[in-house]
Amino acid sequence: MIPVYICDDEQVISTHLKKIISDQIMILGADMGPVRVADNPAGLLDMQRQDTVPAVYFLDIDFPGQMSGLALAQELRRYDPRGFIVFITAHGDLAFETFRLRLEALDYIVKGDYNAMSVRVRECFESIQERLHDEPSGQGNYCTLKLFDTVRHIPVQDILYFEALGYKHTLRLHLVNELLEFNNSLDHFEKQLGENFWRCHRGFLVNRAHVRTVHLKEQIVELDTGEECPLSRKAKTEYRAGLS
Amino acid sequence: MPFSFRISVVIFVFILSGLGLFWLCVGIVGKKVRIRPFLIYAVCSSLVNVMVVLLSTWLIDEDVLFGPYFSLLFAVAGYTVGAAALGIVIRKCYGVPFLQGLTAAMLSHFVINTADDVVATAAATYSPLFGGMYLYTFITIILPKLWGFFIAFLAAYILRKSGFYRYFAALFSSRFKTVVMVAVGWIFMLFWSFIDFFYPGAEPNMLYALFFFSLITVVLLWIQFMAMYTAGQEKIHVQEETIAQQQSHMELLEELQQEIRAFRHDVTNLFSGLTLQAQEGDLDGIQEFMKKTSSYFDEKLGNEIKQMDCLNNIKPYPIRSLLTTKLAAMRQKHIQSALEVLNPVQEKQVMETADFLRGLGILIDNAIEAVPFKDGQIRLVLLQEERELYVAVVNNYETEPDLNAIAERGYTTKGSGRGTGLSSYRKIISRYPGCVTRTYLRDGFFVQELRMPMQSV
Repeated sequence: MIPVYICDDEQVISTHLKKIISDQIMILGADMGPVRVADNPAGLLDMQRQDTVPAVYFLDIDFPGQMSGLALAQELRRYDPRGFIVFITAHGDLAFETFRLRLEALDYIVKGDYNAMSVRVRECFESIQERLHDEPSGQGNYCTLKLFDTVRHIPVQDILYFEALGYKHTLRLHLVNELLEFNNSLDHFEKQLGENFWRCHRGFLVNRAHVRTVHLKEQIVELDTGEECPLSRKAKTEYRAGLS
Repeated sequence: MPFSFRISVVIFVFILSGLGLFWLCVGIVGKKVRIRPFLIYAVCSSLVNVMVVLLSTWLIDEDVLFGPYFSLLFAVAGYTVGAAALGIVIRKCYGVPFLQGLTAAMLSHFVINTADDVVATAAATYSPLFGGMYLYTFITIILPKLWGFFIAFLAAYILRKSGFYRYFAALFSSRFKTVVMVAVGWIFMLFWSFIDFFYPGAEPNMLYALFFFSLITVVLLWIQFMAMYTAGQEKIHVQEETIAQQQSHMELLEELQQEIRAFRHDVTNLFSGLTLQAQEGDLDGIQEFMKKTSSYFDEKLGNEIKQMDCLNNIKPYPIRSLLTTKLAAMRQKHIQSALEVLNPVQEKQVMETADFLRGLGILIDNAIEAVPFKDGQIRLVLLQEERELYVAVVNNYETEPDLNAIAERGYTTKGSGRGTGLSSYRKIISRYPGCVTRTYLRDGFFVQELRMPMQSV
């Protein structure tokens, strides 16, 4: 069961929303619940710690005099990096792009018309179910990456390879459909990720699961995406020794 | 003389001249002196020196060695390699472009060699003859080196105080200027070697010294003048750009004013209709009207006002005017644009404003180029947080960008010759440690993120 939380300081809205959400969960037959309501951010954070993650959160954008919806969501993310966050807003003009990019917020719902809200909630749940279905369940391995004060958990199967860029310990991480550049060392990740990754060159650390062919003569490691990494002489000798 | 004394003098000379060179060079490019880069450089340059000396004594017999051609050749090779080593260290440790570091290194060589040479010559000529070797060594070797270091230290201090590095960087703004600067620096570095080569027996006297000192002064003044002139030109250019940006901001304001006028007109009309309905007691009609017009204001003006609010949240003026210009360009191309700036943006991120502007400009220009001709969409997000400034440029696209190709140099979807943007973006970012860039595709949008740490106070 995936817990669902609502956090809004207006009681009318939260009871309203609770009804809509419970109805939609029943209609979709989704494996979600219970639906809990908190009327302030601190209460929600308390509740979150007592149940499982990932969870679904419906959050108001601003709580006058308390932490903002953005800060609240960041705090929630710290404990539940893969949860689903939906914002509730009184007017349509919120900076949703910021929330979507920064917090991977799922969607937003405009307070008001009952029917429109029902439709929007239903869409949210459908997309959550779809995402849960796509995700390989449970036993996935994650590579943790600390950037500033956020920690990112990257599924290991999404990692193609790490590349060291010549200057100042900059690494470029090649993921499926993503490039990420940051300061760190290859040694750190070689240690963290262990046997599943192969240091095929001083400046490259490749995910073995994505290696298609090793061209010994051309000294190239070909990945299943068609990308190529160089193969050092040292790694080549070791590779040969491992084969025989 | 005991061997240990000789060795310690040699080590002393190496370290002192190395430190002087390093100090002055770092002063020219306007960075802080740090221990680690200096040690790296000292080890490298000492190795190079020792190698050159050993090679020359082993490979070539003494007559040739002290012949004029070979001493010139060794001077050229030794100094060039030494300057290159310093340039590389400056590039690696401070992130200053290699050619700038190289030129700074060569100019430092010149200054220190001049100071050194003058005192050494004077000491050799004017000092009385001493019986003791130690005192002689002190006067002819150690004193000049100390003097050279003192001059370097003083020059570095003055240059740093006057902010010379800004002018210096301006001297490398075009390829031609760069070539000229490197050539001038090289000739200067080898100035005394050339003098030795062409006028081997020249006796130092007052006139001779005066002539060269005035020559040096003139050339240094010329370099300073050139640097200030170029920087002035650059400043004018920047001001022109600012004026253009202000104009586009004005245009946006005027547009808004026009729309408000039209809106006022509309509202007056609508309300006169409403008054009629109210007089007739047509409640249903009024409700219908309310439903239709409640979002009217948002539709008409909400977007512009929101954008203005966001722009006002950006305190550093140059960044605000860059975004204004780019947003105007997008409107002109009928690209649907949105800007989101939730919190006030501060000025204190690690990146220098000029570099940040260039980087952000490149990202936005790329987005403008990449959007499809119809229904182009670009969203810009700036989010100030406690420890970082988060920037994202999001756009839809005509052809899906190939991330693997983007990682290579010079990638662009719009034919050859236009891909310098992303690679210079990378170059800019690489100068600031701690920045994180992220490039990814999601739901039909291409997202470029940049996260910059804030300056720690």
